[in-house]
Order: sequence, then C-alpha cells, then structure tokens
Amino acid sequence: MKINFNMNGKPVEIDVDPSMRFLDVVRDVLHLNGTKEGCGEGSCGACVVLMDGKSVNSCLLPVANAIGHDFVTIEGLKETKEFDILQQAFAEMGGSQCGFCTPGMIIAAYSLLKHNPYPTEAQVREEMSGNLCRCTGYQAIVEAVLKAAKKGAGLW
Amino acid sequence: MVEKYIPASKKEALEVLSKHDCYIVAGGSDLMVMKKNTAGLAPKFDKDILYTSHIDELKGIYEDEAGVHVKAGTTLDEVLNSKLAPALLKKAVSQVASANIRHFATLVGNLANASPAGDTIVVDFLLDAKVKLESVGGERIVDVENFVLGVRKIDRHPDELITELIFPKLDYSGDMWWKVGSRKADSISKVMVAGYWGIRGKIVEKFALSFGSVSIKAVRSHDIEKEIIGLSVSELKARKNEFIEKYGKIVTPIDDQRSNAEYRHKVAMNIVSEFIDKVVGGK
Repeated sequence: MKINFNMNGKPVEIDVDPSMRFLDVVRDVLHLNGTKEGCGEGSCGACVVLMDGKSVNSCLLPVANAIGHDFVTIEGLKETKEFDILQQAFAEMGGSQCGFCTPGMIIAAYSLLKHNPYPTEAQVREEMSGNLCRCTGYQAIVEAVLKAAKKGAGLW
Repeated sequence: MVEKYIPASKKEALEVLSKHDCYIVAGGSDLMVMKKNTAGLAPKFDKDILYTSHIDELKGIYEDEAGVHVKAGTTLDEVLNSKLAPALLKKAVSQVASANIRHFATLVGNLANASPAGDTIVVDFLLDAKVKLESVGGERIVDVENFVLGVRKIDRHPDELITELIFPKLDYSGDMWWKVGSRKADSISKVMVAGYWGIRGKIVEKFALSFGSVSIKAVRSHDIEKEIIGLSVSELKARKNEFIEKYGKIVTPIDDQRSNAEYRHKVAMNIVSEFIDKVVGGK
C-alpha cells in the first residue's frame, strides 16, 4: 500500500505493509539508523521520533498512522540550532555515556522544551520518564536538559 | 490473508465494519505490543485491521447539554491540554504511561482495551461516562459500567465503532485520585482509587468511589453509595469502619507479577479510610 508522510522536511512515498512498525520503516526502509530499538514495547524511549513536533515511540506506531504527518528523526534535528544547544549541554554535563539512549533523549528533550521552554526539574523528570538510561543515573541528563533550557531561552 | 483498511471518513469506516470483523487501531499503543512480532517484522494480527487515527471527524473535545464529549481519536495529550475535560480525568491521564505514549495513545483506546489496570477506566466509572457506538444501522449509547464486561471484553458488536466517550456534568465539592504503582511515572498500577463527594449543611449529599486493578474490571458500588448519601457528617464518621468493611467485600484483588492480593486489599482499604476522613473533615 502507498503511504505518504514528510520525513526531515522532505516528502516521502513508500509502498509497504501498513501494519509495519514505523521504527522499521525509519531504520530499514529510510536507513535513518540514529533511531534505536530498545525494548520494542514503548517503555524505553530509544526509538522516539518527533511526530508533528511531539515525541512518539516509533516501535508502537503502525506506519498506517504516519500518513500525512511531519516527522523528524535525530538526523533531521541535527541541522537545527536547538540540537547544537542540546548536544553541547549533554556533552558538558556528561548526559551521554554509551550513547544508545541519547538520540531518544535528545528528541524527548526537544519535544519537552518546544512545549514547555522553562521546565522545572520535576517537570523534566516527569516528562522524560518514558526514556530509560542504564549508564548515567539520570542526574546528568536532567541537568543537561535544564542547562539547554537556560542556554536556549527564547529559542524553543 | 489479513486485510488492512485505511478509510478516509467515519462513514467509510462504518461501511468496512459492516462487512468485516476487524481490530480497530486508533493510537496503536496497546495493540502493537499485544501483537508484537520478532524485531523487523510487522506485528501478527489474526484478523483484518481498520486504522482510524487519520480520520479528522473522530478527533476533538466538545461540550453540549449532555456533557463533555471526547471523540474516539482524541489523544491522552489532547485530553490533558483541554479546558473542557473533567479535572479528575486529567489527573488520571497525567499518570498514564509516559509523555511519549500520551502524544499518540487515545483515551477511548484505554477504555476499549478493557485492561483491569486501565487507569482512565476507573475515572470513567466514577464520572458515569457513556459510550457512544455507531454502525451503518444507527447509534446506541451505553453506560460505561455496562460496556466493560471483563478482562479485555467490551460490549461492542463487530459492526460498531466507538465514536465518543461522554462525561455528563457533575457537581461535587471535592475529589481524589490515587494511583499506587512501583514508580512515580510510567507504571502499571497495583491499586487505583477515584472518588468525589459533596456536603450540604452537615449532610453528605454526594459520595462516590471507584477502584481499579482490584478485580476483573473497575469496581463501583452504588448500593454502598446510596447508604452513605443522606447521612450526616457525624454519622458517616461514626460508621466509618462499617463502610470500610463493606468496601472490603467488593474489592477482590489477585496476586500477579506487580503485587499481591493482600497488599492491594490493605492499600485500597487504607485509601477508603483516608477518603472518608477527608469527606468528614470537609477539606
């Protein structure tokens, strides 16, 4: 079945099984491998991508539900000023260690700051609770997001 | 061969359902896990699938004399950001899964999956929500307490589509929501309790409690509520233990991987006790 959506600013038309996971379309059809598969059941957030500016678990999204929406993966976000700020904040605060969760963390942080540019620490912890990290213990990630919020004031 | 339908409108969706028995996928957050396949392969569905998430006429929240209508395609995030949605419902929604999932999972999907641990179902029961179902033959409206039949069982005929969840307007002076889980966010509950009350003069004019994760479906006792409504505050205070005992008989949890029956029962009764204290304390 023909499926149309926008990916990283460009229109995409693919002919796939509409019940396919969007994650598999992103990685195996579009070859955007920055998006990772962790748990495959919506708990870990390694696979989140932006759908119309909000973070969604691509492992739980049938590609049928992608029709007509605008998506951004970490590869698309890389071209933005917001990404530079987030990347720098994560580097400075030690918010990334093995790096597997990091694309999902950056996407979730972007989604949070886009809708709440000045979050409290509690809001960062709550909003990013769907993104798991086995290395950092979260403190460094929370500090990185708060730092990015401060540095990018007005940008989000 | 499993067929997949992506209808352009509600009318087309109802026509598909009139001819084919389908899984209805709105957000997909539950079904994609239930039907999960090996990584890299599409989920395994054993019958036809109808996708509804792109149908605009199934999205949105509006209000009329019957109450607040949440259309079936409305996401949990949209409920959370709505000025019309009942405050108690929003409290429950804010604790469903994670923000990532709330961005695409739907309120009606949480009801339609009829998990005994479905967070928002407890509030649907408490707030006397009504389920609107449509088919090519017409529509019907069912009380949510009758709509949920058991574990993952609902009163939906194969040709019907749930199109709305309707919350009638209720006036009460206080409400409470508890979700007891293993972590603060992104958890599946061990026990849930929702309640509201209203006091006029020194009389308990309104009183309702519903429970989740303690039975095959959410639980509410209109009989106990009827006994309490009309009592004076001091009478309710004096008879508190009697009512806790009565609630103790309708709360029948089981042991599972998240918790055990004894803990769940104890916690639920502690919450009933705290709730009654709150009601008689007038806070």
